[in-house]
Amino acid sequence: MDIIVCMKWTPDTSEADLTVDKEGKDIRKDDLDFDMNDWDRFAIEEAVQLKEKVGGKVTAVAVAPEDAEGMLRECLARGADEAYQLWDDAFEGSDGYAVAAILAKFIKDRPHDLVLTGTLADDDCGGQIGGMVAAMLDIPGSTLVSKIQISDGKLTCHRELEGGLYESIEMDLPAVLSVATGLNEPRFVSVRAVRKVAALEIPTLELGDLGLEASAVGSDGSRIRIELMELPPEGEGAEIITGKAEEAAAKLAEILKEKGGIGS
Amino acid sequence: MKEIFVLAEHRKQQLRDTTWEALAAGRKLAEDLGAELTCLLLGSNVDAMADALAKEAPRVLVVEDPRLEPFHPDACMQTLKAILADRGPFMLVMGNSNALLDLAPGLSVTLDAALATDCFKFEVRDGKPLAWRQMYSYKVNTLVSFKDAERIVATLRGGAFAFTPSGAAVATVEKVASPLGGTTFRRRFVGYVEAEKGDVDVASADIIVSVGRGIGDEPDMEMFESLAEAMGGVLACSRPIVDKNLLPKYHQVGTSGVEVKPKVYLALGISGAFQHVGGIKGSPLLVAVNKDPRAPIFRVAQYGIVADLNQVVPALTDKIKQLKG
Amino acid sequence: MTIQEPANVALAGIPAPGLAFVILVAALCLFAYIMNRRIDLLRKAMPDPRFDDIGERIRLALVYGFGQWKQPRYLVGGIIHILLFAGFMILSLRSLTLIGRGFSAEFNLPGLTGSVGMAYEVLKDYAVLMVLVVCIVAIIRRAVFKPARYAHAPGQGHEAEAYVILGMVSALMLTDMIYDGSHLAATGHTDAGLLPAATVASLFMAGSSPAALNALHIGGYWAHILIFFGFLNYLPMSKHFHVITAIPNVFFANVDKGRIKPVRHGVDEWMDLDECGITRFESFTWKHVLDFYSCADCGRCTDNCPANAVGRSLSPRMISIKARDYAYKYYPVFGTAPDPGDIKFVGDVITESEIWACTTCGACENECPILIEYIDKIVDMRRYLVDQGQVPQSLQKPMQAIKKKGNAYGGAKGKRAAWTKELDGIEVKELKAGDATDLLFFVDSCGSFDPRIQELSRSLARILAKSSTDFGILGQDETDSGNEIRRLGEEGLFEQLAQKNIAAFQDRQFKEIVAFDPHAFNAIKNDYPERFPIVHASQVIDRLIKAGRIRLSSDYLAGRVVTYHDPCYLGRHNQIYYEPRQVIQAVPGVRFRDMERSFDRSFCCSGGGVMLWYESEEEKERMGERRVRMAEQIGAQVIVTGCPFCLINLEDAVKTTGNEGKIEVIDLVELVDRSLV
Ligand SMILES: Cc1cc2nc3c(=O)[nH]c(=O)nc-3n(C[C@H](O)[C@H](O)[C@H](O)COP(=O)(O)OP(=O)(O)OC[C@H]3O[C@@H](n4cnc5c(N)ncnc54)[C@H](O)[C@@H]3O)c2cc1C
Ligand code: SF4
Ligand code: SF4
Repeated sequence: MDIIVCMKWTPDTSEADLTVDKEGKDIRKDDLDFDMNDWDRFAIEEAVQLKEKVGGKVTAVAVAPEDAEGMLRECLARGADEAYQLWDDAFEGSDGYAVAAILAKFIKDRPHDLVLTGTLADDDCGGQIGGMVAAMLDIPGSTLVSKIQISDGKLTCHRELEGGLYESIEMDLPAVLSVATGLNEPRFVSVRAVRKVAALEIPTLELGDLGLEASAVGSDGSRIRIELMELPPEGEGAEIITGKAEEAAAKLAEILKEKGGIGS
Repeated sequence: MKEIFVLAEHRKQQLRDTTWEALAAGRKLAEDLGAELTCLLLGSNVDAMADALAKEAPRVLVVEDPRLEPFHPDACMQTLKAILADRGPFMLVMGNSNALLDLAPGLSVTLDAALATDCFKFEVRDGKPLAWRQMYSYKVNTLVSFKDAERIVATLRGGAFAFTPSGAAVATVEKVASPLGGTTFRRRFVGYVEAEKGDVDVASADIIVSVGRGIGDEPDMEMFESLAEAMGGVLACSRPIVDKNLLPKYHQVGTSGVEVKPKVYLALGISGAFQHVGGIKGSPLLVAVNKDPRAPIFRVAQYGIVADLNQVVPALTDKIKQLKG
Repeated sequence: MTIQEPANVALAGIPAPGLAFVILVAALCLFAYIMNRRIDLLRKAMPDPRFDDIGERIRLALVYGFGQWKQPRYLVGGIIHILLFAGFMILSLRSLTLIGRGFSAEFNLPGLTGSVGMAYEVLKDYAVLMVLVVCIVAIIRRAVFKPARYAHAPGQGHEAEAYVILGMVSALMLTDMIYDGSHLAATGHTDAGLLPAATVASLFMAGSSPAALNALHIGGYWAHILIFFGFLNYLPMSKHFHVITAIPNVFFANVDKGRIKPVRHGVDEWMDLDECGITRFESFTWKHVLDFYSCADCGRCTDNCPANAVGRSLSPRMISIKARDYAYKYYPVFGTAPDPGDIKFVGDVITESEIWACTTCGACENECPILIEYIDKIVDMRRYLVDQGQVPQSLQKPMQAIKKKGNAYGGAKGKRAAWTKELDGIEVKELKAGDATDLLFFVDSCGSFDPRIQELSRSLARILAKSSTDFGILGQDETDSGNEIRRLGEEGLFEQLAQKNIAAFQDRQFKEIVAFDPHAFNAIKNDYPERFPIVHASQVIDRLIKAGRIRLSSDYLAGRVVTYHDPCYLGRHNQIYYEPRQVIQAVPGVRFRDMERSFDRSFCCSGGGVMLWYESEEEKERMGERRVRMAEQIGAQVIVTGCPFCLINLEDAVKTTGNEGKIEVIDLVELVDRSLV
C-alpha cells in the first residue's frame, strides 16, 4: 500500500510570547522554534504503523522551506521510506487552498492508496488541507479520524463528532484521512535515530518539477489574504467577577456564552 | 454579494445550535451587505425542522433525499454544488462543527469558492465581507479578506454569534428535488458509536470543567458532571482527585497526566500548581473559581470568582441551561 | 587403639592415592569445564576496562570482600554471613589438607605443621562447630522466621537452592567431625576444650568397636571429599556462585560514582554502531554479567528500593535473578542452548514498566554487600528502548521539549533569565562570552522555568548578593544539564546538551560553578567529558557561614523541630552529607533530628528532572508520602532538603498525607535566605 503523509512545519507558538511584525500582517518568527505540527506527528506514526501491519511504502511530504528538512528527516527516522520537500520561492504566501493545490499535484503524480494529514495545524488553525486535497483528487476523505482499519482495499474508521460521540464510517481507497490526535502513541525519535537516516536524500521539488504554474501558487493562487493581525489585549492576572456567588455565576455564564464556552 | 446562504446542521432530526448561530451571522451579513438570506436544509423528513427555521429565516430551501440523512459530506457537497451552481455572487456560512469540518473545505474546492474557517466576526469594507479568525495557537486575531472572490464559504466559531429568536418571519419553505439521482458514494456511514462513559477523551476536548482538591472529601460529583454536560464539555481534574479515586487517572490534567488544549478551561477548587497548569497548552479561556484570592491559579486565569464553589456551581449550571434555552 | 588412615586403605582394590588422584583430577576437570563455560559468556559480553586504579580495587576487595564491610548493615543476617565467611576462610585450608591426606596420611599444608599446625587444628575445630551451628540457625531462620526480603514471587524463587547449599555445608562439617571424632574416639580423649567439634562427635561414637570407628573414619573422609568437590562444582551452577565470584566482583566494582557508563567502552563513535543498549543479552558488559553471577539473592537492594516499596514492579534483586536464570538457561554448561525464539530480554524478561520505574536513586547499589550495580544496567536497557522509540508518552513530551528548547518546560530560550526580574534591588549578571566572574551560578531548567523552583533561584541569588559574592549566570546560553536525559537513555541528546554547556563554560572565566540542583551538579561534576570545578549550593553556603560572611537567625525556624532529607544525587551519588547539616546547625538553637533513614540510606522522593513527568500506575502510594510519614514519625515540623525536585515531591506529599499546616518543606537555600540576619 502506498501511503503519502502531508507534514507541516509550524512555529511553536503555544508557550511563546508573540508579537506582530512591522507590516502588521504576520507575527515575528525569528525567535520562535519551529517543529513538526503536533497533529502530523500522529499522522506519520499512523502511516508507519499501517505499513508495519499491511506492508507498503510511506512517503512524507511537506510544502515548506529548507529549514523544514529536519522535520522530514525525522519522518524518515520514524519509519517513512522516502521524503520530499516541495518548495519554490513562488510558494511563499500560499494560503490553505494553494498549499492543497501543490500537495494534490504532488500526490496525483504518484501511486497513492491513502493520504494522511493531521486535522489541524497550530499556526493557521485552518483545518482545511485534508478536505481540499480530497476534493482536488476527487477521492473520499474525513477529518478527526481514529481507529483506522484496512482490509481488502476497504477502510473503516471512526471520526469524532462531539461530546464522546463518534461516527463509524467506511470508505473505498484511495482516500484522504485527517487524523485526530491521540489515535496512536507516536514513537520516540532519538538523536541517533535521526543520525541513522542522515545519508538518505530528501529531494526538493520546485514549481517546474511539479508542473505547476506560478499563478496557481503563492499569494496569486491564494483565495484569501491576511489584511491585519493583532494580539488581543492581555490582562495582568484574572479579572475578578464580583458579586454574591449567584450573581457572579450568572455573569460568568454570560461571559462563557459570549466566548464560546458553551458548546452543544 | 447578492445572496447569503446559511447551511442548517442537524443530527437525529434535531437542529443543532450551530444552525441558529449561523443564522445569526447570516442575518447580520445579509443586512450589512444588503443581500438576500436563504437557509438551506438538506436531509430527509425534515418538515418539523423546516417549520422551525421558517419562523426565523426569510427563505428556507429544502432538499430531501434519504442519502442526506444522516449527515453525509459527499452527498451534501453534490447537492450544494447542484443548487448553487448557477448562483452568485454568494456567501455560504455554516458552523465550524466537527461534522461540517468534513464538508466545508471540499465544498469550497467544488464550488470554486474562497474559504475561511472558524471565523468569529465579520466586517464589511467597500461592500466586501472580511472575516476575523484566530491563528497561532488561537492567540492572534487575524483579519482576512476574500480578495475578489465571487463565492465564499465561511465556517463559524461556536458561540461567537449569539442568536436571538425573533419568531417573526413566515418564510415559505421551498422544496427542491434532490439532484443526487443514482449517485453512490465512496464513503459510507456505518453507525454512531457512543464512547463508553469513562472513555471521554480529555486531551482533545474543547471545553473542560476541571475539579481540584477544593471540592472537598465527599463531593457531589454529579453536580460537576451536570455543569460539564450543560457546558457541552468534559470533566477533568487535578491529581489529588485521582488519588482519592474520585475520577480515573486519564482525567488528570497536568505534567504527569494528560496534556490538554481546550478552548475553555474552568478550574474549580484548583490552586494552580505548575504540575497542573503545565498540562494546559494553547491559550484557552481560563476561568477559576477558588475561595482563596491569592491562589496562583488567578495569575494565569483570565476570569476569576473568589467564592465557595459549592455555591457557584449550581447557580452557574442553572444559568447556563437557561441561556441555552 | 590404633586407627587406619584413609590414605593407607585401598577401596575396592584401588589404592587410596590412586582413587584420590582420580577424584581430584575428575573434579577439577569438571570444575574447569564449568567455569570455562560460564566465563565464555563473559568473553562474549561487551568490554569494560576495569583494570585501572588497582590500589582502589585492592582496597575494595579488602574492605568489602574480605572485610565484609556492608554486611552488618543488616545485623542478624550480616553476623551470620560474617561468621560463615570467616569459617569458610579457615576451613578452606582444612579442605586442602584433607585432599592431601588422600595421598599421604601424614600430609599437612606447608606452614601448618608443628605448633602452628596444632593451633590451626584447634581453630579449625572451633570453626567447624561454629559453621555447623550457623548453618542450622540459618536454616531455621529461613524456614521458620522467613525474613520478608527473602520472599519471591511464586515461580521465581530459588528457595530450594538455599537449603541444598546449607545442607551441603552442614554435611561437610558433619563428615569432618566424623572423620576427626572417630580418630579421637579411637586414640583417646584430649582436652575437650581444644577440639570441641571432634570431641562432640566422639561422644556419639563412645563405645563403638574399633572396626566401626575405622569405618567411620574412612567413610567420613571420603564422604567429605566427595561432598567438597560436589559443592565446588555445584556453586557455579547455582545462585551460590557468589562464593566464588564475590571477591572478584568487589575487586572489579565501579569506582566512578555518579557517572553513567558510555554506550560502549572504548567506542567514541557509538552512534555508528549497529546496536545501542541491551539489544541482546550479550550487550551487557562482562562485569554486568559477573554481577548477575554474583548476586547472592539476599534481597537487600530490593528492600531499599523506593520504587519497589511503593508497589512498582521493579525489584533490583529480580533483575539479577532473572538475568542469571536467563544466562544459565540460554548459555548452559551442558547440552545445547535452547532457542529463545521471540523472547526478548528487554521487554519480556525485564519488562518496560520495570525499566522505567527506576529513579536511579542508587539505594540498591549502595546497599549491596558485593557492590552489584544497577543504574548502568537500567540505563543500558533504556538506551535500547529509546533506540527503538519505545518511550512512555508522558516522558516523550519533556524529552522532546529538551531537544527542541533545551528545557523540559517548553519555555522559550529567551526567558531563561526571566526569574531574575522579580528580584528587588539585586542585579544578576548575565555573563556574555568572554566575561569573568568568581562564581558561575548554573540555574538549570527547573530553576529557570518552574515557578516554584524559581523561588530557589532567587533565594540563592539573594544569599550570594548578601555575602557580596561576585556571581553571574549564563542566561540564554545555558541549556538543560542533561542529567536525567542521560539516565533516561537518550545519550545522543545528552551529548548535545553537555557540549552546549561546556562551550558556554569555556567561553567564560570563573573560579567555580555553583548549582542548587544536585542533578545538574552531578551531571557537570561526573558526566561531562570536560571537568570543571563545581560545588553544590550547600557547600558554598557552609563556607560563607564559616567565613562569617553571612549569619543566620532563629526567627524563621522559631524553635520548630527540623529534619533533613538527603537527596540521592547529593548524598549517595556525591557523598555530600555534612555541609547541609552544618548549615542547618548554624541556625542558633536549632532543634535538629535525623530520620531513621538518612545519610546513605535516605529514601528517594521519586526522582527529579524529567522523572517529574512520569507517573507509575502500579504505585499504591507515592514515595514522597512515605518519606513525609518518616518525618512525621520523628515529630519533624520542618523538612529541609537540598534538591528542588525533592521539594516539589515532598511539598505535594505533605498535602496528600494531610500534613498541611503541620509540616513545612523547604529547600536549604530558602531556609538560609529566610533566616539571613
Ligand atoms: C511529580 C509530581 C507530578 C505531579 N503531576 C500532577 C499532574 O499531572 N496534575 C496535577 O493536577 N497535579 C500534579 N501534581 C500535584 C501538584 O503539584 C499539586 O499538588 C496539585 O495539582 C494540587 O491540586 P489542587 O490544586 O486540586 O489542590 P490544592 O493545591 O490543595 O488546591 C485546592 C484549592 O482549592 C481551594 N478551595 C478549597 N475549598 C474550596 C471551596 N469550597 N471553594 C473554592 N475553592 C476552594 C483552595 O483555596 C486551594 O487553592 C504533581 C506533583 C508532583 C510532585
Ligand atoms: S536505583 Fe533506586 S529505584 Fe532504581 S533499582 Fe536501585 S533502588 Fe530501585
Ligand atoms: S544485588 Fe546485591 S543486595 Fe541485591 S540481592 Fe543481589 S547480592 Fe543482595
